[in-house]
Amino acid sequence: MEIIQTYELTKYYRSGLFNRKNIQALEKVSLTINEGEIFGLLGPNGAGKTTFVKLVLSIALPTSGKAKVFGLDIGTTALKENCGYLPENHRYPSFLSAANTLKFFGRLNGIPNSELNGKVSSLLELVGLKDWAKIKTKKFSKGMMQRLGLAQALINDPKLLFLDEPTDGVDPIGRKEIRDLLLELKAKGVTIFLNSHLLSEVEMICDRVAILNKGRVVRIGTINELTAHKLIYTIQLSAPISDVIKERLRSSLLRADFYDNKVIVELRDTSELNFIIDLLRNDGIGIESMTQQKTSLEEYFIQLVKGEKEN
Amino acid sequence: MFRFTVEEALRKGTLVFYFAVASFILVLFALGIGRLPNDPDMVALFGSPLARKSLHDFNVVEFILIMLHQQSVGAILLFGIFGIAGLIPSMLEKGTIDLFLSKPLARAELLMARALGAVTGVAINLIYFFIGIWIIFGIKLEVWHWGFLSSVIYVVFAFFCYYSVVAIVGLITRSTGFSILLAFMFSIISWGLELREKGLYRLWDNIVYHRLLDGLYYLTPQLNAMIDNSTLVVGRHPFIPGQAEFVITPFICSFFSTCLIYALSIWYFSRQDY
Repeated sequence: MEIIQTYELTKYYRSGLFNRKNIQALEKVSLTINEGEIFGLLGPNGAGKTTFVKLVLSIALPTSGKAKVFGLDIGTTALKENCGYLPENHRYPSFLSAANTLKFFGRLNGIPNSELNGKVSSLLELVGLKDWAKIKTKKFSKGMMQRLGLAQALINDPKLLFLDEPTDGVDPIGRKEIRDLLLELKAKGVTIFLNSHLLSEVEMICDRVAILNKGRVVRIGTINELTAHKLIYTIQLSAPISDVIKERLRSSLLRADFYDNKVIVELRDTSELNFIIDLLRNDGIGIESMTQQKTSLEEYFIQLVKGEKEN
Repeated sequence: MFRFTVEEALRKGTLVFYFAVASFILVLFALGIGRLPNDPDMVALFGSPLARKSLHDFNVVEFILIMLHQQSVGAILLFGIFGIAGLIPSMLEKGTIDLFLSKPLARAELLMARALGAVTGVAINLIYFFIGIWIIFGIKLEVWHWGFLSSVIYVVFAFFCYYSVVAIVGLITRSTGFSILLAFMFSIISWGLELREKGLYRLWDNIVYHRLLDGLYYLTPQLNAMIDNSTLVVGRHPFIPGQAEFVITPFICSFFSTCLIYALSIWYFSRQDY
């Protein structure tokens, strides 16, 4: 089931008081986010990631295009009852304690007071701020503010969670805890929309990602689809290969590099794998393993964005 | 949002200062005002006789209440605006407005809760002072001046209307400084428009210009007229001859112009990107 559907969502911001200019933030972005998945939106600074979330939550208004969340048109106040949002650089009233901040946002979500106390203390425990419940937020570090922000986003038990750089300023242990929490939420059926610069984290938890550049979606797919785009395989062998076989592989394949009991090959298509297997087996060489080489998401992202820039 | 804004407004330094000054004045009157034991008709402050409670047309108690009313209104217009002018711009700050707008609240509801909360924060201070004075004068002088007590309703209403100007300026400029500056400019303009027949009309003897001034007067909250009329609810100033009778018209006109300004604010707010 689709939780978010956008159709050619476009946003231009106007700048300048007298000489008004249109600045493109998003250009015809069509995306579908399915129920229960963790979806990552990646892109360089200014690519339009935050704008996308703002449009979906009606914090900013689209120039053109349509979007639906839970089947409701964006702009419908009711759809926000099931959404949680952790914005980037969020601010909380400095005169409120952590517990009162959560109570305040809980009330804004329409949660009755009778339910709030229990919910607030369990959320503070969940994000590791139980001992800080009565401390005013002005004394909180960046990492603690992120944890509080996450608790705030979860106060209404959302079915759809938008997180903009959720681990920004959080220490490595805290990041791991947040990742585990997100996976736990996913297991409960929560759909998570994640904006992050930390590609290694996105790679670890996202089911699908879209890459935005200059307001356009340039790639979308699962992590595997994006990172295993080249047919490069590492084949671990039981014995070294003879020179005759080496020569046949070199002449038949795009690339073949040989190391003691290992060969790295680049293929034109996967049917060439059978040719390699037959050739090696006929020569009496056992195949111990065969793995497709992957580029990391970060490498892929940099190549893609650089390529787009050059084009 | 309303409750939160009231709490935020009450914590503002200028309103805390107003509260402290108001409390100090209340304590002064509670300790100092009274009647001379040997002359119950004589009003005294810390044992020093001021005047008889009523002497011909001059009612000293009413005079003191008028003075207190005028001073407290002047102070609240100053401290109140300084205190709460920033509440709308602070709501619009990046990182704050994103959170508010992501909640299941209509933008109109958010803005009005913020504006009403801000005005309520000021109203609590005003009501505290007026009720305090009313009780002190009632107990110590046996003068239960209902006019003085009810005048606070008119003052709060005037402040609510005045705040509509501050709110729309804060919404458009997103600046506390601009909101305060324009609020004070508006209070001067309101005074100028109130007295336009004696002043601004004479600058240019042109009917279009005169009607334009009239239009401005009726389209904006008539702050000066409302404050003057709220004082008349307490009583007539003994040293200002030829005062007009209390009229409700400025309150009615201001109610409509305030509704118009808040409607414009909501329209503007609902069309903005944050």
